[in-house]
Amino acid sequence: MDSFSNTLGVNQQSKKQAWMDKIRQEAAVEQARALIDKVSDNCFEKCVPKPGSTLTSGETTCINQCMEKYMSAWNVVSRKYIERIQAKDV
Amino acid sequence: MDSSSGSDINLNDLSQNDKRELQQFVSNEAQKAKIQSTVHYLTDMCWKRCITSKISSGQMDSYERPCMENCVDRYIDSQMTVLKHLEQLRGQI
Repeated sequence: MDSFSNTLGVNQQSKKQAWMDKIRQEAAVEQARALIDKVSDNCFEKCVPKPGSTLTSGETTCINQCMEKYMSAWNVVSRKYIERIQAKDV
Repeated sequence: MDSSSGSDINLNDLSQNDKRELQQFVSNEAQKAKIQSTVHYLTDMCWKRCITSKISSGQMDSYERPCMENCVDRYIDSQMTVLKHLEQLRGQI
């Protein structure tokens, strides 16, 4: 009985773990999708104001730099926002 | 471990402790997701205000970075001001 419930416990444990991993993974995918959407919107706006017949090399460079810049802006905002909401709670 | 193993968990089989742990986990994840979605919103809005010149590097310059930070701070200040004033108006009725 003891060993049986033990086995069950381990099984439940791994199922619980799998369930948590799945939620974490889905959250990460959703997070990446939202970031890609925002980067595409804002960098298209900034780098391709007059779309031509092809994406020029200048536009491509701009998009790549814009993406890096957007991600670092995201990190700055994230740090600042978390700092503020934590300060408010105290 | 196959991908379906996470979904066939029977919550009734779990101990009280496990249930509590899962509840805590889900509520933490939900809060994280909410914060991240606010960060997406703020980055988008502040980007439009602060990144006004042509993109010429992958780094933010000495104007852009503080502008992004101030933008977040002032947005929260504005939100607080709105809430405070609303509170005042409610007291007047």
